[in-house]
This record gives sequence, C-alpha cells and structure tokens, in this order.
Amino acid sequence: MKKNRDRNQRKEQFVETLKLPKDICMGAMKVTLTGNSEAWIENYRGILEYTENQILLQGKTCQACFEGTRLAIDYYTNEDMKISGCITCIRYL
Amino acid sequence: MIELLKYLRGYLRIRVWGFSPERFMNLCSNKGILIWNIVREGDVYYMNINLRGFWALRPIVRKTGTRVAVLERYGLPFFLPRLLKRKVFVMGLLLAAAFWIWSSLYIWNIEISGNYQITDDVFQSFLKENQVTVGMQKRDLDIEELEKEIRRRFSQITWASARLSGTKLLIDIKENDAPIVSPEKKETTGTDLVAEYGGRVVSMIVRSGVPKVAIGDEVEAGCVLVEGKVPIYNEDATVREYYYVDADADIVIEHRMEFTDSLPFDYVRKEYTGREKTRYFFRFGGQEWKMPEESPFLVYDSLIRESRPLLFEKLSIPIYTGSYTYREYVNVEHRYTDEEAKVLLNEKLMTFLANLQEKGVQIIEKDVKIGVDGQSWILYGDFLVQEKAGKSADTEKVETGVDTPGESDTDE
Repeated sequence: MKKNRDRNQRKEQFVETLKLPKDICMGAMKVTLTGNSEAWIENYRGILEYTENQILLQGKTCQACFEGTRLAIDYYTNEDMKISGCITCIRYL
Repeated sequence: MIELLKYLRGYLRIRVWGFSPERFMNLCSNKGILIWNIVREGDVYYMNINLRGFWALRPIVRKTGTRVAVLERYGLPFFLPRLLKRKVFVMGLLLAAAFWIWSSLYIWNIEISGNYQITDDVFQSFLKENQVTVGMQKRDLDIEELEKEIRRRFSQITWASARLSGTKLLIDIKENDAPIVSPEKKETTGTDLVAEYGGRVVSMIVRSGVPKVAIGDEVEAGCVLVEGKVPIYNEDATVREYYYVDADADIVIEHRMEFTDSLPFDYVRKEYTGREKTRYFFRFGGQEWKMPEESPFLVYDSLIRESRPLLFEKLSIPIYTGSYTYREYVNVEHRYTDEEAKVLLNEKLMTFLANLQEKGVQIIEKDVKIGVDGQSWILYGDFLVQEKAGKSADTEKVETGVDTPGESDTDE
C-alpha cells in the first residue's frame, strides 16, 4: 500500500516537473463548473448511480458524487458528460 | 448545427427501466451511442437516443436486464414517409418548384436608371422596337448587342451597361451632360450680322467683322450691322483683297414691340354631373383584362389608376391592378365677368413679359390697354424694348485679284 503511494507521489512529481497535463497523465477527473447549475465532466469511467438528487461517477483514480436537486444529464458520451440542475455539493470518495 | 444534424438523422425519446439502467448508459457510451437529455422520474429513466444507436441496443438491453420503450419519434426519417403519403401536397411542392425554375428563365422586370434627357417612355419604346420586353426569355437577350444598340441609337449616351440580376434586367446609362461642341470650322466663306427688326442701335461691341452702323443710328430690318468681309488695302489705299470672317458682335437695338391677345366673351366649361362608374382591370405584362361594360355615359372623361402590389413589385412580376373611373360631364356655356377677363388677360400678359425677360429683353416703356371688340376682350400692349439683335447671313462676295479666303498676306 505504502509502495503504491510512493509510486504515485513519484509519478506526480515527474508530471509536475515536466509540466505535463495532469488529467491525462494521472487519469484525474476534470470537472468544470458553471455556477451551481452546470457541471461538465471529462475523464471518467462511468455512472455508478443516478437519482434525481445524486449522481455518482466512477473516475480512474477516485469516485465523485454530485449532490443537488433536479439533477439531469444533458448528454453522455464516452469522452465527456454534462450535468445540469441545482448542484449543492461535490464529494470525492 | 448539431440540432439540425440530429434532426436529419432522426432520434427517439425512450423510456428505460429495469435491473441496471446506469450500466445501460455506461454501455451505450462505451459503444459510442449518443444519449442526451437523461432525466430520472422514480425508477424510470427518460432519454433521447439517435436512430442508429437504437438499432444497436438489443445486446445492451439483454446484458443489463433493462427494458426499453419508444415514446416519441423525431427527425426527417420519420417525417418524410408521412409527407410522401400526401400525394397532392408533394405534387404541389414539385409543381411549385418547377414553376419557380421555369419562371426564372424569363425577364420579369426592366429597370432603367441614369436617364435624364431621354424619358422612360422613349427608352421603353426603343426597347420594344428591339424586342426587349417583359416576359421574354433570357436566352433570347443579347446583352452586348443591346448595349451597342443603345449607344448607336442615342448619341447623347456615352456609357451604357445592361445586366441581368435574377429575373430583372437592369439598364444603367450615362448621358453626356457636357455641352455638345460642334467642330470648329477651319475655313469660312464669311457671314454678316443682319438686323431682324428696325430700331435705334444703343450698344455695340464687335469682336470680329467690320461694323457698318454706329451707336445712335436708326436701322431697318434686314440692314447689315456687321460685315464679315474685312478689306485688306494696298499701299495706295485701294482694296487688294477681302478677308472673310464670321461676323461676331453684341448689338442691342431699341425698338417698339406690339402684343395683342384676345379672349372670347363666352367659353365652354366642363361641369361634372357627379355620376361616376368604375371599371376594374387586371394587367399581366401587355395583356389586359377589363370588366365587361358598355359605353357608360354619352359624354364623359376617364381617370385611370394603376398600382402594382408590393409583393409583385418585389418579386418583379408584371402584374398590375387598377381601375378606370368614368365621370359624366356636360358642356355648359359661361360668360366671363369683367374681373375674370381682366385676370385672365393679365396672366397672358405676364407670361409674355416673363418670356421677354427670359430672352434678356429690357423693357423701357410699356402701354397696355384692355378693351372690347365685337365678341371678345382685346388686350393691346405697346412696348419700347431694348433687345439683342443680329442674325447671320452669308456675306456678299466681291471678286478681287487674289481670292484665298482665310489666308492672306498682311503686308501693307
């Protein structure tokens, strides 16, 4: 476990030194928010759960949970997706 | 743009429910099936899916244990078959397109611009002579030839351009607004200036020629004022030869001028009875259709009103509508009152005086009388005027030993 963390840290250091984009190299999820009504997400694996009040997404390294009311998915493709509604909270699990 | 593409390809609104709708969505995105507007209501998901993606759903549905139901269909693939069922509508559409294409082969409007001296009517009749009319086929029109013909026919047009803009023929011309300069005569046989009327010479400025009268002289009509025959003398004061020129001078002659005009006591005036009849017409190009009607009144005049609906004007379609209004009248004899007659005669006098003033005639004295002569009013005016005089007339030739007009040696 510790070995894995060390590897990750080294990788992050390497990416930062070379100024490479983190979302591509580290597989991090990229979330762009417009106010609290729209969220545009890239670099995810899929939807784990979708209800009106919560959308749980599986990323490459973590999970992200969007909470709010009247949540809807404007579009959903392999590359990116857009969530609209009243977003009240984003949690990383 | 994306919306248009989606519409062209067709899409469906579907309802998805069952064991794992989230997995259904993930598999869709993995397989590259576009889904959008996903909304959850209770246990049911509603989403849009493109038509091609819908046909590839079966394995996904089976794998995820979900069920799919189509709610609505959108787009051209669904609209077209429905449209094609309406045969009359499709036929109308095709006919409209065919008519549109067919009518674009003709000229439906001719616009002329840049003409000031040549009136539209003159130009229209010229175009008619050359078989350029509204309703002719575009392919029958030879634009270059038309431009050449315009320049050939109207000498004052210095530049002509014709072009077709859609179904409109635009003719743009430029007229020569500079004064027409006649080529200078190199050789002249000589001309005199002759008085048109008798009187007293009050002013005289001679530019070329030999003056034959002086200021203060009384002259008669036909008298030579300036001679175009310039003598060249020998040393012994005899005339060696004559040098012929065009006499040119500003001569003002004071003379008497008379003006008489008459106005009959009676005149005939049109009096409208108030009875009118209107007859509507419809005109397409040169063809006119009128409402059938016999001769409306015994004595009448007609008023024509013509208009073109804005839509047809914009579309350059030569459709005109209008009406003929026939107004009945009777000819009633009237007699001028003294005041009326004086006003009318005065108007005539004023017009005459204005004409004189336009010609540059100066009035020194005037004596105007209005009287009655048998059956009419008479206006008699006697004026003393100062007027420019001198009209050209050929110089009388004199045979001398050397006769080379325009060329002479001037040694004295």
